[in-house]
Amino acid sequence: MSLNTQLIRSLRAPARPAWEEPASRIGLTAKGGFLALCCLGVLGPLWIVIVTSLSPKPVIDRVGGLVVIPEGITFINYTELLSGGQVSRAIMISVGVTLFGTLFSMAVSVGAAYGLSRPGSLGHRFFLLTMMATMFFGAGLIPTYLLVQSLGLTDTYLSLVLPSAVSVFNILVLRAFFMGISPELTESARIDGAGDVRILLTIIMPLSRAVLAVISLFYAVGYWSAWFNASIYLSDQEMLPLQNVLIQLVQKNTSAPTGLQQAVHTGQLSALGLQMAVMVLALIPVAVASPFVQRHFKKGMLTGAVKG
Amino acid sequence: MTPNASSASSAPSRRSFLASTAVVTAAVAGGMPLLSACGGSDSGSRDGATSGKAAEKLLPTYVASTVAQPDIPSKNGSSAGYTGKVDLGALVASVPDKLGTGAPFKIMSPFWGTPPKAGCAYYAGLDAAAGTKITWQNQDGNTYGQKLGAVLASSSIPDMVVVPGWELVGKIANAVTAKFMDLGPYLAGDKVKKYPNLAAIPSDAWRMGIFGGALRGIPMPSAPASSIVPYYRKDIFDKKGYEVPKSAAEFLSWAKEATSAKAKVWACGDMSWSSGGIFGVRPSGSLGWNIGDDGKLTYRIEDPAYLEALEWTRKLFDAGVVHPDDKARSGDAGQRFTAGQILVFNTDTSAWYGKTAEQAQSNPEFIIEGMDIFGADGGDPKLWAAQPAGIWSMIRKGASKATIENALAAADFAAAPYGTKERMLVDYGIEGTHYTVKDGVPVKSDLGNSEVLNAWGMLSAPAPYYAHPDFPDIARKQAEWQQRMGAFMKKTSTYGMNIVEPTRYANLSSQFEQLELDYVRGNRKLSEVQAAISTWKSSGGDKLRDWYKQLIDQNGSGN
Amino acid sequence: MSLTAGSRPDGTRSVAAVEEPTAAVGAATATGRVARRTRKAAREGKVPWRVRLRRDRTLILMTLPVILLLVLFNYVPLLGNVVAFQDYDPYVSSNGITAIFHSPWVGVEQFSRMVDDPLFWSAVKNTILLFSLQLVLFFPIPIALALLINSVIRPRVRAVAQAIMYLPHFFSWVLVVTVFQQIFGGAGIIAQTLEKHGWTGFDLMTNSDLFKYLVTAQAVWKDAGWGIIVFLAALAAVSTDLYEAAAMDGAGRWRRMWHVTLPALRPVIALLLVLRVGDALSVGFEQFLLQRDAVGVGASEVLDTYVWNMGIQNGDFSYAAAVGLVKGAIGVCLVLAANKFAHLLGEQGVYKK
Repeated sequence: MSLNTQLIRSLRAPARPAWEEPASRIGLTAKGGFLALCCLGVLGPLWIVIVTSLSPKPVIDRVGGLVVIPEGITFINYTELLSGGQVSRAIMISVGVTLFGTLFSMAVSVGAAYGLSRPGSLGHRFFLLTMMATMFFGAGLIPTYLLVQSLGLTDTYLSLVLPSAVSVFNILVLRAFFMGISPELTESARIDGAGDVRILLTIIMPLSRAVLAVISLFYAVGYWSAWFNASIYLSDQEMLPLQNVLIQLVQKNTSAPTGLQQAVHTGQLSALGLQMAVMVLALIPVAVASPFVQRHFKKGMLTGAVKG
Repeated sequence: MTPNASSASSAPSRRSFLASTAVVTAAVAGGMPLLSACGGSDSGSRDGATSGKAAEKLLPTYVASTVAQPDIPSKNGSSAGYTGKVDLGALVASVPDKLGTGAPFKIMSPFWGTPPKAGCAYYAGLDAAAGTKITWQNQDGNTYGQKLGAVLASSSIPDMVVVPGWELVGKIANAVTAKFMDLGPYLAGDKVKKYPNLAAIPSDAWRMGIFGGALRGIPMPSAPASSIVPYYRKDIFDKKGYEVPKSAAEFLSWAKEATSAKAKVWACGDMSWSSGGIFGVRPSGSLGWNIGDDGKLTYRIEDPAYLEALEWTRKLFDAGVVHPDDKARSGDAGQRFTAGQILVFNTDTSAWYGKTAEQAQSNPEFIIEGMDIFGADGGDPKLWAAQPAGIWSMIRKGASKATIENALAAADFAAAPYGTKERMLVDYGIEGTHYTVKDGVPVKSDLGNSEVLNAWGMLSAPAPYYAHPDFPDIARKQAEWQQRMGAFMKKTSTYGMNIVEPTRYANLSSQFEQLELDYVRGNRKLSEVQAAISTWKSSGGDKLRDWYKQLIDQNGSGN
Repeated sequence: MSLTAGSRPDGTRSVAAVEEPTAAVGAATATGRVARRTRKAAREGKVPWRVRLRRDRTLILMTLPVILLLVLFNYVPLLGNVVAFQDYDPYVSSNGITAIFHSPWVGVEQFSRMVDDPLFWSAVKNTILLFSLQLVLFFPIPIALALLINSVIRPRVRAVAQAIMYLPHFFSWVLVVTVFQQIFGGAGIIAQTLEKHGWTGFDLMTNSDLFKYLVTAQAVWKDAGWGIIVFLAALAAVSTDLYEAAAMDGAGRWRRMWHVTLPALRPVIALLLVLRVGDALSVGFEQFLLQRDAVGVGASEVLDTYVWNMGIQNGDFSYAAAVGLVKGAIGVCLVLAANKFAHLLGEQGVYKK
């Protein structure tokens, strides 16, 4: 196939399934219009954030707030944020904590979700209720802090993972999806002598790719955006993950000359511009990661494996 | 996300806002802002206070500093001002011998922003000069209250802890007496002479460091005179021919004239802070108690001026002269000010320098000027003195002698007055590395901007002063403004005493701050405020009054 | 859908079930109370717990790590909530734990204080109001959006739309409120435009009457896109054969949605609904703290901000614990009620009895 043909084929829309009616023009425009509106509603503010982060200080001062129509571009906010190695180090730390935390959380969550997917099993109700009770009752900061400290976890990265490793909500969602998988599949495996672990690994998990991706995403986002634990349990500045560093760099409601913003104080940088640049930096990993997640939401990818 | 779970908001409260401006000014070598304007500045553990003769025994002897006399000395309780150029080649050492012995110890302190890296040139230089070896634990200022509460409840407390007064609320106030040591054996009387800069801290400030009958806190002294300035855009005033208003009514009518929503110009931001000064309302917290001319002891909310101030502020909001973003408490009023969207806004004295320096290059026409606080009826205002200190550094109980002496050495170093080598080191770092001198004015380098930050400055400070080598005129204006306002200053009966109310009254007036915020914006009715005041009286206010009466009788009045 | 012990749709028995008859036979021949109970149980089809332990031991082992983590990091500190019955002072003794034993007990004083506080009831009212509003106005939107996106054929358009729509989830609330202020505030874009045409005084952000709709709109803008993810995962699990079969039977687009798509989503919707109801009392925190002053406490105080301000900000740990306990108790009741309701509709909900 020539390159040309390949190109043309890839640009053309995929074939419509035979059973789907041809799209009505009104339907298409309505759908498209509505989607476009939704996207605009999101992109509009995003545009404002990006523009403000790229605006020179005099422009921001003159407008007195967020800039909508760009007048001049400067990358100084980004260069200031990324120089000095602190942000880059914090990114590495955040990536590490997120990866490790997500893997750990997923491992224990999938185990628990599967372990609780048979309502007749021993202790099923007890475990389930034990888990769910934690969704409603929280402990105060002082007892939690004292516990973490007595376990020797303060000033370690484990304090960022272990206390918040379990999300009962996530486990319940996983469990619901696991329970929705046809028992015929598991039963036939059981006849062949497979134990629970084999069934989980070879049958349940491959069929649950979508929900596994989703829950991994939920956990990853949770770890990535967490900052409170780090601010309480870590004293060493070098250990701080990204969110804390970013929050430090921009203090709300002050144009205080702290940290990077000594330059703000002397009029070289705008506090608001820095804040917006921080926002954009925090969004970049999301934008990067989303194609990987998209792959799992293809329509009908589980065709034939699961009953409707 | 619930607050009980591991996520909490860092949404700004008035307390945290003041906190961050507090440390700002320390870094900028300016005056200390008014801290008792926010609620909850009562501190200490056991009820009561120690003052009068009992206190004198605990206090260090005062030995005035002889180094670098200010050009504008402190008058009427103002900060001092340095307007002349300091001869950077002839700086004096205020601490002739290194007082530190190099024994390592830890300091926990709040920090707003990115703290200096451990082991950086700035920290290393200061440690070398002071003879100390400090491990800094700079904690996020926004969650410092919670961290402080948790750390103090644990059994391992850092050697030295910076305790801001606004965090001493509720039960946390009890922690001070329980967990921090009595510094009397090291500082009382003539013992302080070993630390010359600590001896130069005014006794009024030291008195505020008495908790539970002992001297526990090394203070960061602040000026008792007003430090919330109603700033206005002099350049715009001149251009439009506005006259600076001199009475509450004049302000309102000027504001209406100056506001044009179409032109995106509003007269002012939230004037609540200034309204207190204009109408002579006493500060909140223990300072708000005063025996009036009629011999009766009342709290600030019982004074008719309180309601008058609230009503005036509300009139401003109702008239639409307040910027909508200030009504919503969103964004940065300072930014609106520099953009010319509001013409008047109030914040503390440090902004005089801050805004001038910030706009100097990008908007040379910008002139920020401070209005003299006027009396509501156009006459002299009735201003009330603020507490002379509100942030302390404390040493934990059970610290070793070596630790204590090194900690005091560090505090002594940090309290060096303006014009000394130590002050230069703390404020600007090492010459060549962190700053260079241009025309006799030190200019921070990039490294200086990222390392020389407000860490050491939290330990202690000299008597408050203003000094800006790059804008000496601003220092003069700040000092003179404070002197003028200080002339109208009166002290309440509870001035100068570090008072801890009994915990059963701890939450009695806690909702007034929110009530005031809501009322001026029109979200509450006057009847609700009046009802809150009478509820306050009946559910403990009158008993609290008896308690205060007894206290003042015992300890003598503050005025 | 749940597996009953041992039986299979095709009638054969599982390995585990093979053991039961042996046990049952053994039980049938033995005498004594336990033996009689076992026999009775075997006859009724119930399985003695030792057998279940052997059968389910892998499952239990797989569940244990989570249980251990929860016990350690949730239940142990939860014991600290006992201070709700005290006037807790963490500093009376050398550390916070021993301080529990040194603080005075006040019984239900903290709870009666809560009940007597009009601000508490105002917070409860707001919480319920806002939750109900969000349930009606917010909850259906991610479902609708998921259906909409699912019906788009071109994968690239879908991917792009999805990616854009869940970006706001990553904006901080500070940013969201700031952006809303810049658009809907009194000095914002809309106000300015209206001003030009003579309509003054538009300010949506400080309007306490419309606040509940404002916060719902903010929540929709921020999180609706994110909420579609779970539904998309559920929709991805629907076999296209079903659509094909339905189409063959003459079902049009809307009938296919009604008979194939929505039923596929029902279990997930029910689950999320029950969980959402259980979370009803935590209707928001940072979002409300940020706008508290703009509209006043009366409109913006919810339970979480109430606990924050009265308890944590004031260093009043006992009170915070007391309110937290009450909140939890109500949450449990809500979830039980919602789950029961889901059962009535034929759905599994979170768990089946």
